Amino acid sequence: MFYLQLRNELWKLFGKKRTYIGFGMFLLAEIVIILIFRYSNATRWMKRTLENNGYLADQFLSTLTIASLMVIILSYTLLPLYVALVGGDLVSKEAEDGTLRMILSRPISRMRLLGLKWLAGFIFSFVLVLSLGLFGLVFSALWFPADGNLFVSLPGERINIFEAWPGLERYAAAHLFMVSTACTVMGLAFMFSCFNMKPAAATILALSLIMINGILMEIPYFKDLQHWFITYHLNIWQLLFVEKIPWWKIGESVSILLGYNVTFVIVGGTVFHMRDIKS
Amino acid sequence: MIELRNVQKQFGQRLAVDDLTFKVPAGEIFGLLGRNGAGKSTAIGMMLGQVWPTAGEIRICGHDVTTHRQSALRKVGAIFETPVFYDYLSGWRNLQILSHYTAPTPPERIREVIDWVGLTGREHSKVKAYSHGMRSRLALAQALLPEPELLILDEPGDGLDPEGIHEMRQTILRLHRELRLTILLSSHLLNEVEQLCTRIAVLNQGRKVFEGTLEATKLCNQWVRLRVSDFAAASRRLSETGLITEYRDGRRIALADGVQTDQIVRKLVEQGISVFEIAPEAETLESFYLSLMNEQRDNR
Repeated sequence: MFYLQLRNELWKLFGKKRTYIGFGMFLLAEIVIILIFRYSNATRWMKRTLENNGYLADQFLSTLTIASLMVIILSYTLLPLYVALVGGDLVSKEAEDGTLRMILSRPISRMRLLGLKWLAGFIFSFVLVLSLGLFGLVFSALWFPADGNLFVSLPGERINIFEAWPGLERYAAAHLFMVSTACTVMGLAFMFSCFNMKPAAATILALSLIMINGILMEIPYFKDLQHWFITYHLNIWQLLFVEKIPWWKIGESVSILLGYNVTFVIVGGTVFHMRDIKS
Repeated sequence: MIELRNVQKQFGQRLAVDDLTFKVPAGEIFGLLGRNGAGKSTAIGMMLGQVWPTAGEIRICGHDVTTHRQSALRKVGAIFETPVFYDYLSGWRNLQILSHYTAPTPPERIREVIDWVGLTGREHSKVKAYSHGMRSRLALAQALLPEPELLILDEPGDGLDPEGIHEMRQTILRLHRELRLTILLSSHLLNEVEQLCTRIAVLNQGRKVFEGTLEATKLCNQWVRLRVSDFAAASRRLSETGLITEYRDGRRIALADGVQTDQIVRKLVEQGISVFEIAPEAETLESFYLSLMNEQRDNR
């Protein structure tokens, strides 16, 4: 029964055209970024940094390096947008369309329905992150050598260098942890969508909160308070590209994100449970 | 099958439903009447556990909806005023999705219901290609899938053309006849209610102002149509002798308690007034409803 209901939620979610906007935009953005790297001087700073550190730049201008660079850029910009778009739709779009009333004339509890919807949102976030990573690798491989090493430069960190295979492992692990980021942003939008508001409002509210957090975190006066901001923990997957992975720090952030997710579900669930569902 | 006891619903300062009490026994077609905003949809929302009552008790199929919603709705089907579906999916997939919220439903059952509502051949088309009538039939199909004992229809004829309304009416009667369903029908189409329901309740500003059988609505009428040579003289004489309590429109009189039409005729003939026609006014649900609403307005 649970499987059937989850399958139905996925049919609903993946049957909608707007669900695929994120995938489409990732494809487009990655192709544009790759073409810029391939046919402009955009890799110049990368080459200079590598050569200044005594490395042969050509060994590092690879599929993995370009894919990682793209993923870092897109994870800040497009990823939160599209998971928030879907998360904000999950409940409020059904309430707006009137299908929620049809569902709730059935003997299903509101909490079970929310659980199913959240799970569908989680699966979407997982698939979106996975496709971000896969598209990145596939398209980079079309224009850059697939057997090269990985070079990643993170803000505030020294440059990180990996050989091809360990680099691929880091790339895969980073995506695994990025799922928690995508899921948290989706969960935040999902929480707002449980309130009596339009889907667009839920998405905008979630994105606004993430943006405000990001802006505040970057203000030098708040440097010491960085770990209080959700965006600090949302970026934690990038630490998978640091030579010596700070697992305790990653564990701490993942636990905090888990706490946020539970809070979002509880707040959303409580509001949704108390709400009157009207036409 | 349905029992509402002193149910109240308040939205902020506004009392949407006030002290609503009624019962619908099994096998009945019960009509819920009232103008827009009278509280019909709110009452239905409370019956389906979608709207939380501020006070009172609602029992469906013997279970309290507020505390045991799942048990209460296990054998209930519902249709709302505008049938909405996942337009980008097929009719078949919509039925699969909605039925699985109740229980796993085998494809044979879905096929059977599609056949019953007459959608065979179109079930795999996307719902966005359906006409309003087809959507209404799909709405009926989704309501019938859990093999309900109770069907709640909230303005089912809304937006349908006369042919569609006729078809919907015939379907409801067929459901009642063949499947022995108990049906609660909310509508402001008085003609529909008159042709379908055995009993009605009328809501006005959230309060029940009438509950009874359709026959009772006709009995409420005290007006008699009178065509005479001189209505003014006739009504004056009849009033003076206490045989009528009221007259209006130059052709209607209201008989006093216990007075029969033969007494009226005798009196008028004695007075030399020719009587061409005297007959009890055939009360329609519409005239009953309108007079009830006027009465409510006057009482305020």
